[in-house]
Amino acid sequence: MTPLFEIESLTHRYGSVLALDDLSLSAESGAIGLVGQNGAGKSTLIKILLGLVRHTAGTVRVYGSDVTRNGVGLRGRIGYMPEREGVVPGLNGIEYVALSGELNGMPRKQSLRRAHELLSQLGLEEARYRRLENYSAGMQQRIKLAATLVHDPDLLLLDEPTSGLDPDGRAAMLALLQSLAKRSDKSLVFSTHLLGDIERVCRQAIILENGTVVASGALDSLLAGQPHAFLLQWKSDNDAISGEFLAALQRSGAEVASGDELGQARAVVPEQWATQQFFQLARECGVTLTDLEPEEMDLRTVYRRLVGMETAAPLPVIGLAKRDESGVAP
Amino acid sequence: MSAGLRDDWKEHQRAAWLACWPIARTALLLVFRRKLFWLLLGIALLTFMFMFGAIYLLAELKAQQPGIGRMLSRMLPDLDGSGRTFLNFMLAQGTVTMILLAFAGSVLAGNDHRRGGLTFYLSRRINVLYYSVGKLLAIGLLVSLTTTLPALILYLEQGLLVDTTEYFRENYNILFGILGYGVLLSLTIGLLLFALVSWMPRPVPLVMTWGCLFVFLPILGRILSFVFRDREESIREALEGSHWLLLNLWRDLYILGARCFGEESLRRSDEDLLTGAAVVVATVCVLSFVAMVVRIRQLQHHS
Repeated sequence: MTPLFEIESLTHRYGSVLALDDLSLSAESGAIGLVGQNGAGKSTLIKILLGLVRHTAGTVRVYGSDVTRNGVGLRGRIGYMPEREGVVPGLNGIEYVALSGELNGMPRKQSLRRAHELLSQLGLEEARYRRLENYSAGMQQRIKLAATLVHDPDLLLLDEPTSGLDPDGRAAMLALLQSLAKRSDKSLVFSTHLLGDIERVCRQAIILENGTVVASGALDSLLAGQPHAFLLQWKSDNDAISGEFLAALQRSGAEVASGDELGQARAVVPEQWATQQFFQLARECGVTLTDLEPEEMDLRTVYRRLVGMETAAPLPVIGLAKRDESGVAP
Repeated sequence: MSAGLRDDWKEHQRAAWLACWPIARTALLLVFRRKLFWLLLGIALLTFMFMFGAIYLLAELKAQQPGIGRMLSRMLPDLDGSGRTFLNFMLAQGTVTMILLAFAGSVLAGNDHRRGGLTFYLSRRINVLYYSVGKLLAIGLLVSLTTTLPALILYLEQGLLVDTTEYFRENYNILFGILGYGVLLSLTIGLLLFALVSWMPRPVPLVMTWGCLFVFLPILGRILSFVFRDREESIREALEGSHWLLLNLWRDLYILGARCFGEESLRRSDEDLLTGAAVVVATVCVLSFVAMVVRIRQLQHHS
């Protein structure tokens, strides 16, 4: 089966600024999340996949075709939704979406019909004859998505589609993307710095940092490949026994941080660690484990570890509560 | 999102180059939505209506009062139905066309560069060439709407009001002249405007530069002709035959346009400037094309 895209030794410079540095990766069809901070190279990578930006060096193939040689043909199979720009002021919603269809080779009649259908499906029926410059940020994102979908592309390249949306708009957009991601005939590359959005929509992720790939692959394998942390609580008669238990954990390869209160700790264990080892060590040291809770591993944690914002090393127990924000920024 | 529609049209998917027309049509649609352009088009229409009426009245007078008709024909040589009639008409329409384009430039293409529309276009199944051709087609059609099309209507009117077969047989070169001058105007002005818009998409700098090219440079040309004239040369001679006058691009186009209508339409003072005018126009076209492509590529790669 032909991979969705294959990238070999891709380098791209904007003048003296290195945007992508010797990047090599490939991805299978499906929903792929492109994660990274601002300036990591996400938008550049998307534009190169589209053939919109000619890369400085390397090879990029989408559906087995070289984007440099066959950019026009490939763009007929791709729908691209830019983050900020991409609206033609002066046109109304229908004209804009229909024009997108025509530019992708659709006959005018069909593109108009399809534009009406899409605007109804995306909840823009009432606003379809309104000028685009009078649309709200959320409506502009939706109309851009409509223009992306009008020619029913095989691959959607979405650059920060939830950017600038209010919570309701974001939820609606994510629900829409989820429904698109479920379709077997569609692939989706979705760039964002909101990791929660990626977890909701995508099955694969590519993590970029300073123009290089830090990690890529299925989300499950990315999460599974990380050292796991556990919150421990135990009962013991004195401090010495507790200290002995912590020392035993460390000798077994776990990194341990004691809690503020006696009988609490956070332990980060190696990948091959078996949960039973906690009980065995506790028994050997004469303590009774009263609570053993695995810390939930999410993409945010993985991301922060991979880009070096956070180490797997344990934090004091008091700081263990998961933060709600899901952005990648420190 | 329904996928069922896909098969309907995928079989009839149009060639990528055909996207030039939707691009041109959209650009014209955006221009026609501005009231100012209708005002300017109205002014252009007034000139046309005046010429249309004058040709009709002259033809009627020639038929019913031959004496008065002949006298008026001598007084108004520009309305005699020769190549110069249409050449001068197109020149006169040029002023309105220039003003129209100065204001239309930012709408035709400037907003694409300024507000990210370029990304929209180039991320579709087209390339820079199709995009540029589409925009040039829009500018060309706008120029033709105010110059070539009314001139063709006047040519048709002139032919129908006199001995039709004979007129068209004897003056077929006028048709080629109108079309040739029209293509020359559309191509040169289109390339120049598109190049300028690519580099200065905002309306005010564009209007100022446009004004410099078509108002300031002709004045400068006349001043330099006067200052650097030969001692034995009269002022009139200097202001008609000096090479400094080539700074007036509109005049250069007029000289080349006159050549399209045939040698008899070319004024004697312009004959010496013909080669110079051709060089200036060709240089402007080449430079504009290069500037346009460089800018679009720059914007595309740094977007």
